[in-house]
Amino acid sequence: MSQKLKKTFIVTRFDPDKDEVPKTQTYEIEVEPDWKILDALNHIKDTVDPTLSHRWSCRMAVCGSCGMTVNGEPKLTCKDPMSDYGDTIEVAPLANFPVVRDLVVELEGFMERFQEVKPWIMVAKERAVEEGTTQQSPDELADFKQFSMCINCMLCYAACPVVSNEPDFIGPAALALGHRYNQDSRDEGAHVRNEIFRGEGGVFSCSFANECSEVCPKSVNPSGAIQQAKLGNVIDWATSFVVKRGGDVS
Amino acid sequence: MKTLMLKLEPVIWMLFSSGMMIGALLLPVFILVVALGGGFGVVGGEALGFDRMVALATHPIGTLIVLAAMALPLWGGAHHLRHLWIDLGGLKTDGLVGFLCYGTALAGSIVAILAVVRLHS
Repeated sequence: MSQKLKKTFIVTRFDPDKDEVPKTQTYEIEVEPDWKILDALNHIKDTVDPTLSHRWSCRMAVCGSCGMTVNGEPKLTCKDPMSDYGDTIEVAPLANFPVVRDLVVELEGFMERFQEVKPWIMVAKERAVEEGTTQQSPDELADFKQFSMCINCMLCYAACPVVSNEPDFIGPAALALGHRYNQDSRDEGAHVRNEIFRGEGGVFSCSFANECSEVCPKSVNPSGAIQQAKLGNVIDWATSFVVKRGGDVS
Repeated sequence: MKTLMLKLEPVIWMLFSSGMMIGALLLPVFILVVALGGGFGVVGGEALGFDRMVALATHPIGTLIVLAAMALPLWGGAHHLRHLWIDLGGLKTDGLVGFLCYGTALAGSIVAILAVVRLHS
């Protein structure tokens, strides 16, 4: 077995029944060198302090549950190696979200924003089964594939300066998801989504700080999606005076 | 004001993005060649002579470039400043700040147009 290391964890604690403001608690533990931050938190909960609350599930960067602020940066803790840090590691809940308890944040209001951008393939007329499958070339797939890799971990919302200032901002992950469908060759609803993109809290609220793409653990590049959506919206807006927009889609 | 800015957002963003592009790519080269190159005599003599420069600036394409180089970076800067203000927590005064930023860019653009028109007269 490898040599254990001593680490000091400064963890933000908050109990809504007792605390007015969050406080910190220090845990000194021994860790394996190849542990991730989440392994250490689980170790603390299992062996040191069972009252610690944190959210996690898959432990393999797929479910997007274990996002937290580690040494001031939004991180997916199951993917974040302990070796990246020194002897003292600070863990806090994700910024820009209401805290439920300790390291657990409330995602409810934010998840609804994904619905706002109509993240599904919208068509004017449903394709009949007899017509067969819809063909899509590798190039057409490449137009949106990267933007469909989001796991809704919400790190981008915690990193975004616009999210922290503009309550109406739809936000990086949701806008990137909307753009993903606008880029999909099977979709016919771009004109509907573009109206939403141009509305309050849409793509033009983004100040291109690029923090969302910096922190994204799946390399989705939401800020790239938003900049593409801005250009798409300029073209869509300008041509809307000349070309009539598509009819009803669902 | 806020609703108007929201409606004009695609136009403003277009002016901003082209202004930033020109400001980032064209202006440094322009300053390097004309101001530094010309000033230190590296580029020069006849190439940067007054008559030649006027002829260049009054050519239809030259006029467009001069106008774009003067007016568009103003919109780039205005949009940047407005968003910086919002990022610093100034959303409540966004209408006023937006008016001041874009108003200055508009005024500067009008001055640029007048300056270019004067070149032709």
